Amino acid sequence: MRLTGKIATVIVAGLAVIAMTSMASAKDKKVDGRTLFREHCKVCHGPDSPNGEYTPMTLIQDQWEDFFDNNYVNTHKDVVDAKHGNKKVTDVITPEMLKKIKKFAVDHAADSEHPMTCG
Amino acid sequence: MTLKRIALAACALALVAAPASARKTYSHQKYFEHYEGTKTCLKCHKKQARSFFHSQHYQWKATASNVVGAKDRKLGKINMINDFCTNPLPTWIGEWKNKDGKIVEEGCSKCHTGRGIVPAETISDEQLENIDCLICHASGYRRNIYEKEGGGYEWKPILWKNTVGLDSVSKRISLPTRTMCLRCHAGSGGGPNFKRGDLEYKQTECDADFDVHMAKDGNDMQCIDCHQGEDHKIAGPGADIAGNEMPDKNILCNNDDCHGNEPHEQKILNMHTRRVFCTACHIPVFAKDNPTNMVRDWSKGHYSEKKGKYTYTAKFEKDVTPVLRWWNGKTTIMQVAGEPVKKDEKGEIMVAVPVGSKDDPNSKIFAFKEYHAVMPVLKDRQWILPILTGDFYVTGDMDAAVKKATEKFYGIKDAQFEWAPTIHYMGLFHEVSPASKAVGCLGCHSSGSRIDWKALGYEGDPMMALLQKSH
Ligand code: HEC
Ligand code: HEC
Ligand code: HEC
Ligand code: HEC
Ligand code: HEC
Ligand code: HEC
Ligand code: HEC
Repeated sequence: MRLTGKIATVIVAGLAVIAMTSMASAKDKKVDGRTLFREHCKVCHGPDSPNGEYTPMTLIQDQWEDFFDNNYVNTHKDVVDAKHGNKKVTDVITPEMLKKIKKFAVDHAADSEHPMTCG
Repeated sequence: MTLKRIALAACALALVAAPASARKTYSHQKYFEHYEGTKTCLKCHKKQARSFFHSQHYQWKATASNVVGAKDRKLGKINMINDFCTNPLPTWIGEWKNKDGKIVEEGCSKCHTGRGIVPAETISDEQLENIDCLICHASGYRRNIYEKEGGGYEWKPILWKNTVGLDSVSKRISLPTRTMCLRCHAGSGGGPNFKRGDLEYKQTECDADFDVHMAKDGNDMQCIDCHQGEDHKIAGPGADIAGNEMPDKNILCNNDDCHGNEPHEQKILNMHTRRVFCTACHIPVFAKDNPTNMVRDWSKGHYSEKKGKYTYTAKFEKDVTPVLRWWNGKTTIMQVAGEPVKKDEKGEIMVAVPVGSKDDPNSKIFAFKEYHAVMPVLKDRQWILPILTGDFYVTGDMDAAVKKATEKFYGIKDAQFEWAPTIHYMGLFHEVSPASKAVGCLGCHSSGSRIDWKALGYEGDPMMALLQKSH
């Protein structure tokens, strides 16, 4: 009886985890790079942030590529994100999410072309 | 290919061969270390900067041989008042913010090739350093408005704090590409394709259906392949731009360097080219991507929640059929500031009306965008007036916006004004469709077609008359 109870708890907990992850990944798919950037980068890199202000327009495409490919892990693996359960930034942001954030940053980098319109 | 270009191409090849890990290098990689504004370019290109200083793109005026009654005057955006954004001087540069603090206007200098200082008549180092070479010569360049330390505003590269980034962009130098020219020309009149109708941001990368000349997968022509110039003069002002800095240079489609007058195998088509200009058949429709502004009534201001500002009442249209009118290809009736307005028979002020008629053997039927606006006019002297658009967008107080602009522009205090309708024809020369989509015979020779025979001076459709005669 007690054993089955334990098993049941484990199963329920397991199901919950599965449900949560599948929900999370479903959410992942819908959330675009812009939203992810706002939620997972801007929180620490807004205007006047002591960590430096970063919007996609702060860097050129080459610099963003270089950052995500060579620098992001080094510079963020020990940084704890208070807004996301005090977990490490590199644990909060899944590889899927990072891909989208990178694409958004590169597409909107300082040297991406946009027309100037007035008024 | 000039020797210069061959040398460049060789460099480019060497680059491709270099190991992938090497940093990208650009045409001006070795010419300087850090970009410190235009003075970096002036070290080697003072001559070109001087020529640019005198150009229409910097001065916003040039001799106006094409404007009826202009005589020897230099005319252009700087000293005229048009019926889109009126005149740029009263709203030159600044940050006009709405009640939520959102910037709703940054000034007309946004589309000037300077960095924020008004162009002067006489050349100086300050003026030369004001020229923004990168806007026409550097790929990936973007600028924004910033407050200057000593007060006032200026246009600066958005990368000004990022030396590595700016040094990279400022070295990506080439002759102007479509993208560079379209930075301004696709946004003229206040937004995407608002003004021209046939110059859209889409032309940076479009297919042949959109534009046979500039199609990426087709002829891939650059703007300057047609608008050839020298010493920073650019040819081809069209039918409604006053200044014409290369009056002797003809870049129209039918000149001998391009298609000539008889490009077709079918005789009947070549017969038409005597009186019907190419664009009347080959630009069947314009504003194929972004809607273009067709009507702008400045007298009817209202608050737009969406834009967060007061604005004029406007009509926009997409996939518009051109209007067909005679033009001699050279001269246009336009309004000169400080002279009584000239009106047509309908009482509309002729902001730009092409000169031409059926009886003039040099005239042909061209395709135009017909645009209407309502503009302020000085009551007694009947001068067309400017509007301080930035103030109006913020406050909605048109009376003050006209009076302030009039005082700045003409020096007239407390101007008493009235509203008057305007008419403005803009030649269409871009968004040429593939030949298979050219206007067919019935596109003109049928009732209810795009052509208004009577208005063009015909008794009726000449083909129908011919058919009836032969019966
Ligand atoms: C929990 C806060 C936090 C989050 C979330 C965060 N960062 Fe950071 N970031 C930092 C800190 C701290 C530094 C290091 C600052 C320093 O050393 O001066 C940093 C440094 C950087 C740097 C400079 C790296 C270098 O080479 O110097 C960049 C670029 C950057 N972050 C971009 C991002 C992006 C993009 C994201 C989103 C994917 C992000 N950051 C998310 C805190 C954060
Ligand atoms: C150290 C001298 C030097 C400096 C500084 C310099 N250039 Fe040049 N530039 C040259 C030379 C030499 C050429 C001709 C050879 C070539 O095309 O690279 C040239 C060519 C050009 C061309 C023609 C390119 C083409 O493809 O035909 C443009 C446009 C140009 N420069 C603009 C600039 C601008 C804008 C700056 C400032 C950011 C600048 N240059 C700074 C030396 C310089
Ligand atoms: C409105 C766009 C525009 C701006 C701004 C502009 N140029 Fe040019 N430039 C052109 C065009 C178009 C050409 C090719 C036709 C010509 O030579 O006039 C050209 C050609 C050149 C050339 C190569 C031909 C030659 O004469 O040697 C150089 C060098 C050059 N520009 C330098 C500059 C410099 C330096 C500045 C800033 C002081 C500048 N340009 C600003 C449009 C521009
Ligand atoms: C910084 C904004 C800006 C850029 C970049 C720019 N233009 Fe212009 N251009 C203007 C404005 C504004 C006018 C109208 C000037 C006037 O009315 O006096 C103009 C006028 C013209 C005209 C008609 C008058 C003339 O000079 O013949 C042509 C053609 C033209 N531009 C083509 C081009 C081409 C081609 C390029 C790219 C090499 C280019 N422009 C780049 C703003 C720009
Ligand atoms: C296939 C040739 C061709 C190409 C490519 C071309 N133009 Fe034109 N453009 C013309 C002709 C022809 C005129 C009318 C010339 C005249 O004044 O007689 C014109 C007129 C203009 C005018 C004057 C206003 C108007 O539209 O009537 C501007 C501005 C202009 N072009 C800008 C551009 C820009 C910017 C590009 C590149 C995105 C470009 N053009 C590409 C042929 C071309
Ligand atoms: C009365 C209408 C009309 C006029 C005016 C006209 N075209 Fe055409 N054009 C056509 C039609 C229709 C076709 C398609 C012919 C076909 O498919 O056999 C065509 C085809 C062409 C072609 C493709 C080559 C070919 O023969 O298939 C070119 C290039 C061309 N025209 C250029 C011009 C130029 C340049 C002008 C002005 C000098 C001009 N056209 C004036 C209707 C016209
Ligand atoms: C863009 C409008 C347009 C299109 C399309 C067009 N035409 Fe015409 N057509 C005209 C005009 C305008 C004239 C009068 C020209 C003149 O004044 O000499 C004309 C004249 C004619 C005439 C001569 C009548 C006479 O008095 O000599 C014939 C025949 C004719 N067109 C047949 C055609 C045929 C066939 C086609 C299709 C291949 C065609 N047109 C396409 C506008 C057009």
